[in-house]
Amino acid sequence: MQRMIPHAVVHDSMRMLHRHSSSAVTEFRMMLAFSSSDDVMMTKLNVIQQGLAGFTELSKKYELKRCAEWIRDHNFVRVALQFPDQLLGDSVSVLSSLQEMVTANIFILGDTSYGSCCVDEVAGEHLQADCIIHYGPACLSPTQRLPVLYVFASCPVDIKHAAQQLESLCPDYSKPVLLMAETSYQHAVDSLYDELKGKYNGLVTSQLKMPDDVHEKSADSGEKSDNLSSGKADTQISTFCKCSRCFQLPPGVSLNECLVFFIGQEGLVLTNFMMTMNKCGFLTYDPATKICRQESLNVNKALMKRYYMIECAKDASIVGIVVGTLGISGTRDIIAHLRLLVRRAGKKCYTFVVGKLSVAKLANFMEVDVFVLVACPLNSLLDSSEFYRPVVTPYEMEVACNQAREWTGDYLTDFQELLPGSANYIQTTEGATDTTYVSLISNKLRRLGCSSGEDDGPNSASLILRSDAMGVASVEMAGDYLAQRSWKGLEQKLENTPIERVREGRRGLAMSYTHETE
Amino acid sequence: MVNFTVDQIRTIMDHKKNIRNMSVIAHVDHGKSTLTDSLVSKAGIIASSKAGETRFTDTRKDEQERCITIKSTAISLYYELDKEDMKYIRQDYEQDNNAFLINLIDSPGHVDFSSEVTAALRVTDGALVVVDCVSGVCVQTETVLRQAISERIRPVLFMNKMDLALLTLKLEKEDLYQTCQRIIENVNVIVNTYYEEGGPMGNISVDPKEGTVGFGSGLHGWAFTLKDFAKMYASKFGIEEEQMMKRLWGDQFYNPKEKKWYKEQLPGSQRGFTQYILSPIYQIFHCAMNEPKEKTLELVDKLGIKLVAEERELLDKQLLKTVMRKWLPAGDALLQMIVIHLPSPVTAQRYRMELLYEGPHDDPCAVAIKSCDPKADLMMYISKMVPTSDKGRFYAFGRVFSGVVTSGQKVRIMGPNYVPGKKEDLYEKSIQRTILMMGRFTEAIEDVPCGNICGLVGVDQFLVKTGTISTYKDAHNMKVMKFSVSPVVRVAVECKNPSDLPKLVEGLKRLSKSDPMVQCIIEESGEHIIAGAGELHLEICLKDLEEEHACVPIKVSDPVVSYRETVSEESDRMCLSKSPNKHNRLFLKAAPLPEGLPEDIDSGKIAPRQDMKERARYLTEQYAFDATEARKIWCFGPEGTGPNLLVDCSKGVQYLNEIKDSVVAGFQWATKEGVLCEENMRGIRFNIYDVTLHADAIHRGGGQIIPTARRVLYACVLTAKPRLLEPIYQVEIQCPEVAVGGIYGVLNRRRGMVVEETQVVGTPMFIVKSYLPVNESFGFTADLRSNTGGQAFPQCVFDHWQILPGDPFEANSKPSQIVADTRKRKGLKEGIPPLDNYLDKL
Repeated sequence: MQRMIPHAVVHDSMRMLHRHSSSAVTEFRMMLAFSSSDDVMMTKLNVIQQGLAGFTELSKKYELKRCAEWIRDHNFVRVALQFPDQLLGDSVSVLSSLQEMVTANIFILGDTSYGSCCVDEVAGEHLQADCIIHYGPACLSPTQRLPVLYVFASCPVDIKHAAQQLESLCPDYSKPVLLMAETSYQHAVDSLYDELKGKYNGLVTSQLKMPDDVHEKSADSGEKSDNLSSGKADTQISTFCKCSRCFQLPPGVSLNECLVFFIGQEGLVLTNFMMTMNKCGFLTYDPATKICRQESLNVNKALMKRYYMIECAKDASIVGIVVGTLGISGTRDIIAHLRLLVRRAGKKCYTFVVGKLSVAKLANFMEVDVFVLVACPLNSLLDSSEFYRPVVTPYEMEVACNQAREWTGDYLTDFQELLPGSANYIQTTEGATDTTYVSLISNKLRRLGCSSGEDDGPNSASLILRSDAMGVASVEMAGDYLAQRSWKGLEQKLENTPIERVREGRRGLAMSYTHETE
Repeated sequence: MVNFTVDQIRTIMDHKKNIRNMSVIAHVDHGKSTLTDSLVSKAGIIASSKAGETRFTDTRKDEQERCITIKSTAISLYYELDKEDMKYIRQDYEQDNNAFLINLIDSPGHVDFSSEVTAALRVTDGALVVVDCVSGVCVQTETVLRQAISERIRPVLFMNKMDLALLTLKLEKEDLYQTCQRIIENVNVIVNTYYEEGGPMGNISVDPKEGTVGFGSGLHGWAFTLKDFAKMYASKFGIEEEQMMKRLWGDQFYNPKEKKWYKEQLPGSQRGFTQYILSPIYQIFHCAMNEPKEKTLELVDKLGIKLVAEERELLDKQLLKTVMRKWLPAGDALLQMIVIHLPSPVTAQRYRMELLYEGPHDDPCAVAIKSCDPKADLMMYISKMVPTSDKGRFYAFGRVFSGVVTSGQKVRIMGPNYVPGKKEDLYEKSIQRTILMMGRFTEAIEDVPCGNICGLVGVDQFLVKTGTISTYKDAHNMKVMKFSVSPVVRVAVECKNPSDLPKLVEGLKRLSKSDPMVQCIIEESGEHIIAGAGELHLEICLKDLEEEHACVPIKVSDPVVSYRETVSEESDRMCLSKSPNKHNRLFLKAAPLPEGLPEDIDSGKIAPRQDMKERARYLTEQYAFDATEARKIWCFGPEGTGPNLLVDCSKGVQYLNEIKDSVVAGFQWATKEGVLCEENMRGIRFNIYDVTLHADAIHRGGGQIIPTARRVLYACVLTAKPRLLEPIYQVEIQCPEVAVGGIYGVLNRRRGMVVEETQVVGTPMFIVKSYLPVNESFGFTADLRSNTGGQAFPQCVFDHWQILPGDPFEANSKPSQIVADTRKRKGLKEGIPPLDNYLDKL
């Protein structure tokens, strides 16, 4: 039915594993976290047949040596390897090579059910792994339990060419230029810095902000998070931490006047950078195509689009919190925080865990007016135009519900910054004041804050009349929705339903029934 | 305030039979605000000498600068009618009370601000229709008059700018009479067209003999009705005033030698009107302008007009004005006419209730409104919001129809979406203060009884623009107002600095509150759209937004026209879409709705909440719908009320009722954001022919069906020759004959189409009626003026939607250009999505 090579269709990324591993003498187990067996999850992939080049190349790319040392140093016994879809092709060779170097028991994890940039701790824990080695691009969100080693599968960058391109597009040497890169090109940042240091006066380099190792974290977590909180300015040199990158700006230079030189492809990472540093100019250099260009995405327009989402969130009376990650530390805190926020704003909320987001899954909950996606910074910004209901980020939900938080034009993609301890944390106020505003989406009047004390309706504890239509659901807001539906479930309509003779139905597969193919 | 105090007004407010609520309506530049000044000067708020110069009711700075009214403004006036004139009142009145309270609303005349007129008419019972006797009945005169009559507002007529006819045009007496006669006839033609005879208001035609027509000059501050002259001549002729009035208009000719009246003009006889009314006026005009002053003063003394020493020193026009004003003070004539002929709330509410109240006509509220009962529960309609000096806060302006509204009173505030028994759009709050609105000023007042107009403080934030306020638990809403114009011209605004977004949004909210018509919305693309009735309206709104409401620098896009997506044929094949899990199939086709049906849906003749059988009968009779299908209309859309239908034409599909909600949700979604460029769909009928569903309910949930329904609808549209609809203005242009050629040129260049060209009888003016695409209307006014030497004045009103000729799929066609532009503006993917995205194969 499908041509498997080279343009393979990966079914839950698992079928691939089968094919490759069938010959390899490797023990591995599969994890299917929360994924249904529907074809919904089919994703088309271009598996680059790399011909499994020599060991040296493999070893270099996947830093096998470093991995082996790390495993040995920490005496890990069960090690899980996590690959994104596009690197799965190499997984078996990596595993077998690594297996030769260490004695530990090694597994390959399938791609996480959320974003491949996140560490799939839950899958790892299912296998009782001691640690995870994460290959490929990463969002570097801090994990909760397991120690993680990141291997970025670095790709080569033509430093000279990149430098030339920058100079031709930005001939103003006095302009402060900030060098940033995707994780797989991060190695090029320092060399590029050395290359250009003499020319640009205000050249700034950036370092990855690696999530703290679990062991250290328990010791000085409080202090650390304080230091690294973003945008914290010293008197002399201002240190910034944005999108898991740290950099120090020279005195007298504000972030807003910087030109960001970004090495990497167009994608989530770049969008994330541009939204967070929305006042900076952006130049991008794609090492694969060797094209350098001025980024033309109108950030102002993008922000306006997001502001529309905030208005949607304000209008919503039922909010669905969709859990899009399990591994990132603070996930539970942010969910609890969101629940509190939503409740104080007089809205009702439900929490969903649906695995990988899809239009069909979320459209099953017609009564929900807006979804909040709790995910890593890279996967938070979702273009939800195909979705039945908009999907917003926790930050947007907070702007919508927390009256103390004002929209300043800055944008936070990392939900960690909304939690206590972060510089951007703002306490929620008790939404007791019952104020109203006009929605600019529906042009109707909306209530903000809970109407405390005014509610003359029955509260959840008191007895209410059971009506035929609604059952006892009338206090719940989703229950109101049910009452409006024309079909409310399997009602028995005795004596109203005509009795019909049994007839022969369809035969065959749902893809195409037998009578249809005739 | 010289003539009255709040206490005085409060006392008279209780005398509901002595109240007159009226609006002043007219075509633009016919002199409403100037005339209103005369009334205000009579009521004593501004000095008499300033009348005619200040435009008291133009409260805004830009109104004063542009000399155009933008917002309607209310003023309360106090007038004591002569005891002997009380007998002219043809309705219930208090025998021994000759003090009257007049709540007057001055409204804008420009068509772009018609919504203000609508709001003014709602809270008043009578209308003073002002017509410029030189240019006659104009487009907007007809529009506002029609609206007044449909709201059951009784009109009286005022013939303005008589001074212009005499001084500038130098019309002969008989010609002037003929002109006036024709205007009155024209007005009555309109009245009789829109008012069925024997209607509840009785006879509402205007007639000088009855005293329902006034003549005069607002600018000079003089006016009269036939009654004023009848009074002067009654003793001389020795007949009753009322009899005398009949002699002073129409074909009544007097022969002084025979001392006899004739019905036709015989030699030696003179028309009553010209002889006894126009002659003395012409004489004064002639003397003051051409003769030595002594002669004028002699005449003045003869007429018994008393001038003080300084006034006797005045010359020419100044003298003329003073003399006329002293002789025939406009305030008195007009206030008399208003008090005598316009209905009191008691009279008016009796027949207006059924048009005003949504609930059953025998419930306590209906009865209370009908009888204007101050002891009953409160019923008040808020027709508009008036900005206060406190930024972002508004006075809720409206009319008390029953009960008494009091400061501190706890009331139910019901928005337009309130349904009795439900909690949506309902707030129970206290009124902070009640106030009287008087032009630029407000006065606090303890309470206001029914039949009066007032403002409320503290309820603005619980209403969007309009609403009903009541103390009765089971009260229904007062009917919402229907506007004669629609917001079709749109611009996108953007703040220069993204951190100002909240301020912009807040500003838009305020703007939307302060204007009855303007629509402010955020679109999915993130664009902030302001939609108004016309270019001028938008210009004012944008200025207000930047300077008053948002106070941040904004960027404004070029005007954007909103389009509609429709189909021109039935889908050329049965369209199938499969659900994501491939277990469910929807088979649909699209077809255009019959002509006229979308308009019927717009006007509410066909509505979703109508009785299903009744609707089906209408559809089969009028539009040849299949009788069974007409009963199986699943829904209207978008927003559940729009002009597209989803019809179930399937037979014997199992579980079909289960997925109805999901299909409907997909239909609402798809009709709101059409496939071509995410504009609303219009005039499309979607027929469901067959549905295959998975036997297990879990596999046919909303998640599977909603996106599939949307896809199949898109496929249906794409296979049914989709077209774009563009909005079309009806344009009426008034101009002298020489300019007509220029008009044609401009219209041709802008894809306009002339439908009618008529000469206004008795004038050199022509009226050219034409259709003009809204898209081509930007800068039309200026273009027209420059091509006609500034002699042509257009009035544009949205009229209908029309198919934009051309195939949107054909490159370089106009529709494809518009689709491309719209997609770009909204940040959508380039190009109309291909059919394969939506159509599945078996």
